[in-house]
Amino acid sequence: MIRFEKVVKAYPGQTHSALDNVTVDVEKGEFVFLVGTSGSGKSTFLRLVLREVRPTSGRVYVAGKEINRLASWKVPRMRRQIGTVFQDFRLLNNKTVSENVAFALQVIGRSRSEINRVVPETLELVGLEGKGDRMPDELSGGEQQRVAIARAFVNRPMILIADEPTGNLDPTTSVGIMKLLDRINRTGTTVLMATHDAGIVDQMRKRVIELDSGRLVRDQAQGVYGFQH
Amino acid sequence: MQLRYVFSELGQGLRRNLSMHIAVILTLFVSLTLVGLGVLLNQQADKAAQHWGSQLQITVWLCKDKDDNPACTGEVTDAQKDAIAAEVEKNPEVADYRFESKEEAFEKVKELLGPEKFDGPNPAATADDMPQSVWITLKDPEQYQGITSAVVGLDGVSGIRDMRDVLKPIYGSINALQWAALATAAFLVFAALLLVGNTIRLAAFARRKEIGIMRLVGASTLYIALPFLLEALVTAIIGVALAGGALAAFMYFGIDQRAATGLAFMPWIGMPEYVVALMSIAILGPVLTLLPTLVLTRKYLKV
Repeated sequence: MIRFEKVVKAYPGQTHSALDNVTVDVEKGEFVFLVGTSGSGKSTFLRLVLREVRPTSGRVYVAGKEINRLASWKVPRMRRQIGTVFQDFRLLNNKTVSENVAFALQVIGRSRSEINRVVPETLELVGLEGKGDRMPDELSGGEQQRVAIARAFVNRPMILIADEPTGNLDPTTSVGIMKLLDRINRTGTTVLMATHDAGIVDQMRKRVIELDSGRLVRDQAQGVYGFQH
Repeated sequence: MQLRYVFSELGQGLRRNLSMHIAVILTLFVSLTLVGLGVLLNQQADKAAQHWGSQLQITVWLCKDKDDNPACTGEVTDAQKDAIAAEVEKNPEVADYRFESKEEAFEKVKELLGPEKFDGPNPAATADDMPQSVWITLKDPEQYQGITSAVVGLDGVSGIRDMRDVLKPIYGSINALQWAALATAAFLVFAALLLVGNTIRLAAFARRKEIGIMRLVGASTLYIALPFLLEALVTAIIGVALAGGALAAFMYFGIDQRAATGLAFMPWIGMPEYVVALMSIAILGPVLTLLPTLVLTRKYLKV
């Protein structure tokens, strides 16, 4: 589903590469934690998958396509196969919960009847039934993140990318979010989650990929956060 | 494609940046009006040149029947015309020449004074009253003595009109006005481009969150740029409409009411020339706003 082949990413004007010769293969339906300190290259990894940046050398494949060879006009279509969730939710505060979720479908040209059918379904899936008419700032942080997850998942993407989705949430709320991501993973969606949260990684016992100064230092099935090496 | 979002964004965008949009519209309005004036003046100069000849031309009137010039013995003959053509042809000061027939001369007079005077049972003049002529284009406007003295004594020549001294200041002022209008327009066009650029930057900044989400969920670049392009188009259309109105007012109050009645010695521009000017600004206006929008949306909304 996601494959990196000897990927190097160097930003102009910096001496160290953000990613240095990383080779990784993530299968369809896997749940993968991406761990490492700040500046280890996690964000660059995610941005490469989204093709927000292109590798300096090496190849990135997403869903079987080498995306750095993809013409830029084809990038939007490729991104429709990827849902993205962030630490800071990134909801539109002037739209209701339903409108926020519907927005993701509207702007890719889905019909109104489809939107009216899919949005309530998805809100129910993330545990927000009955809250579609609320405004985002009336919701708790955990609920806002659920809205963001609903928006990322409403188009039923093949891949869900989560960049520190629990970074702004308390531990109890975080557990709820992780259960939700796990449920989404069970529908066959590949989940790639960057995190600093050791407790969550240790508890979930999923595959862990660790980056350090841009290098892949660990790729472990059913790993924990603080693996000694 | 669902356009409901695009149109609601368009309305919001126009309201949100109202003062910037007004600035763009006013700048476009004034610059397009000046461009339109330049186009009109250019056509006025062409029209005058068609009638009077350009600064480089002198006109040789040929004899007609009952000519005022006693040297004429009646309508110029083909043999006399051949002799005149041969004389003109061999003169080194001449760049080009052509004969004008009675009918062509009649058409010009009709256009100048209005065709209604020449229709009906009692026309003011007929084509037969018009003289034939030779229009000679000089290589150098200062070198004309040779050709005038060579032609003036020939059989069949009634007289020579050299209007260059009269025309020079008229053409000069038309030209000066035209270039002043176009040069001022160029500055304003530049200002309009900068304003359009700033408007887009502000709008992109105000909508950066939406745009970021649209990019992430895979909205096409066109879809993201569409509200910006439509905003640009709306401001352009309003600017063009205002400029078209101003030019129409100029045509009506400046040309129809004043120049064409008070200064009837030369033909003035009318409806066809106005349409040409209107078409030029109707093309230029949208280009001026859409082009920077396309360039800048690529920059600010890059996928």
